[in-house]
Amino acid sequence: MTRSTSRGAQLATDTVEDLTRGDGPILKVEELFLYFRASYGVVQAVADASFELGRGRTVALLGESGCGKTSLARAILRLLPRNVETYRGRVFLDGRDIMKFSDERFRREVRWREISMVSQAAMNALNPVLKVGFQVAEPLLLNHKTGKQEAYDRARDVFRVVGVPQDFMNRYAFELSGGMRQRVIIAMALITSPSLVILDEPTSALDVLTQAGIMNALKKIKHELGQSFMLITHDIATSSELADEVVCMYAGQIVEHSKAERFYREPLHPYAEKLMASVPTLREDKRLDFIPGQPPSLFDPPAGCRFAERCHKRFERCAEDPPLFVHGDETVRCWLYEKG
Amino acid sequence: MKTKTMPSLMVEETEDRTLLAVKDLRTWFELKRWGFISVGFVRAVDGVSFDLKRGEAVTIVGESGSGKTTLLRTILGLARPTGGEMFFAGRRLNGDRGQMERDLTWLRWQTGFVQQDPYGALAPFMNIRRILMEPLIINKVNKAEREQRIRESLEEVRLIPVDEFLPKFPHMLSGGQQQRVVVARALLLHPMLIAADEPVSMLDASVRVEILELMSRIQKTHQLGVIYITHDLSSVRYFSERAFVMYAGKLVEKAECKEIVHNTLHPYTQVLLRAIPDPEPENVAQMRDIPAGEPPSLIHPPSGCRFHPRCPHIIEGLCDVDEPPEFEPIPGHFVECWLYKDNGSPGTE
Repeated sequence: MTRSTSRGAQLATDTVEDLTRGDGPILKVEELFLYFRASYGVVQAVADASFELGRGRTVALLGESGCGKTSLARAILRLLPRNVETYRGRVFLDGRDIMKFSDERFRREVRWREISMVSQAAMNALNPVLKVGFQVAEPLLLNHKTGKQEAYDRARDVFRVVGVPQDFMNRYAFELSGGMRQRVIIAMALITSPSLVILDEPTSALDVLTQAGIMNALKKIKHELGQSFMLITHDIATSSELADEVVCMYAGQIVEHSKAERFYREPLHPYAEKLMASVPTLREDKRLDFIPGQPPSLFDPPAGCRFAERCHKRFERCAEDPPLFVHGDETVRCWLYEKG
Repeated sequence: MKTKTMPSLMVEETEDRTLLAVKDLRTWFELKRWGFISVGFVRAVDGVSFDLKRGEAVTIVGESGSGKTTLLRTILGLARPTGGEMFFAGRRLNGDRGQMERDLTWLRWQTGFVQQDPYGALAPFMNIRRILMEPLIINKVNKAEREQRIRESLEEVRLIPVDEFLPKFPHMLSGGQQQRVVVARALLLHPMLIAADEPVSMLDASVRVEILELMSRIQKTHQLGVIYITHDLSSVRYFSERAFVMYAGKLVEKAECKEIVHNTLHPYTQVLLRAIPDPEPENVAQMRDIPAGEPPSLIHPPSGCRFHPRCPHIIEGLCDVDEPPEFEPIPGHFVECWLYKDNGSPGTE
């Protein structure tokens, strides 16, 4: 295939890091910072984010609106607005430090080839005057190595994978329902067989049944193709459908990174604990809880732990900024776990 | 003090505890070609009946396009019903045109509306004082009382200290605080009924519960009738005692929330429940069993039961021909489904 040959060509020119490719984590983020300039000052959207994602696994990025979930995803994909103040850290994709790539090389070799993204509400951004089949095949057609026939065949394949009837190739976006449009967008992200697909709120605008249908399709892709996903959502119940592990964010920081079994049962960080307690459950009868107060401003985040002000387990230590502590298999940013 | 208390209020005290009675309500929207040739109707609400007692909260659950918002708008007098009857506090509401206008003025005193998107519902160029003043001015509450009512309702929704919030503009508040302002506005005229259209769907998980608790506390202290609309079945229990499930313009199942969840009768509700995940790590390993297809068109709804094209328990020759009436297999649990025509046991699941 064209892709494997182009990869082989890269190997010769790339640095030593390439040799680790194949068995390490698919994505490794280290000390990633993303600050924006605004008229009021500097918005610390992502501060010191570090985590790893294993091959074929799915991580759910959870947190309330404005906590920096989408900013983190865009920082990984280097889709940045103009007002970036600080953008640094290391992002390893398949063992290669893609932060060192020039913008042009990143565009050619990483974006949509290795990492693709299903943006929030992208289903409403389909081009109304082009057939959806063409729109899905477009990433391959633009990459000159793929012929038209081959690209359309591949598009038909991904349509089948995401569960869109093949004759929809020749339809326009307005002829499709919301659920089908969302599937088309997912097909678009899958067509280049990327190593990682970032899903930003893929089901938030859809109905319950449609949502379950999309989640079924994503599960199938995950199991059949061994696709790695990064799922960004604030809908905790839905995230449990796909997540093997959970990264929980609060006020621009990663506060907990746990296996799904741990996070959905008994999360470590007090914020995650409260967040889980606020999720209504259908079958189980539980008393709901909420977190009093509001998240801090990202212009001027408080010194020390950013959650301290709303935390029910606060103690003297919280006046200092907690680092990420390792607690068993999990990492958590909270002084309670200082002893490990 | 010049308060607009309507004389009819005195009459109702002697009547039963029903606040709102809806009988076979229909709201159809006419589709026109070139502005005058009628080409059909969108049957957004098609034969809905229910009762709401004073001080009771009910939830209407349904997918988007099921007509739940239109039902609410019809009850609030924002959409004109095309058929059926509505009684609010003992008064019949949709009489002739002149009567309707007089009724509406009165009805709007008695009802409060909590919108879905708080930011969209609050005028961005008005401060909180002005936003809350508006309904009082329109409804001719005298000046001395206005300020006091505003303070009362802000305290009620816990936006304290009140003086700090009054001069603020909506963009200066968080989503949760904005929604509290919307709730405060709905309470200003001391209504008997609050209608809330997905009051928490735009808010973050951690704030939702706070708003829900606030609303249920207000409902209990003032003995308000409340109609909630939501698409989220898992939160229904926290809203109210009873829930109605709406599908394609009809209420297909009406029962207490516990009954709906644990003793589900209608096949549509069963499908809906199966589709909803609880946050459990095991979900990763299971596929959800959901029917193919989409909700039907409301312009040409399927004959017979509207769920029959997607229903796993279809009875050929009955479900696709005749519309099911309402059965009551269990006292207080109503369902519009032919499976229960002999009032027998469900025979499903």
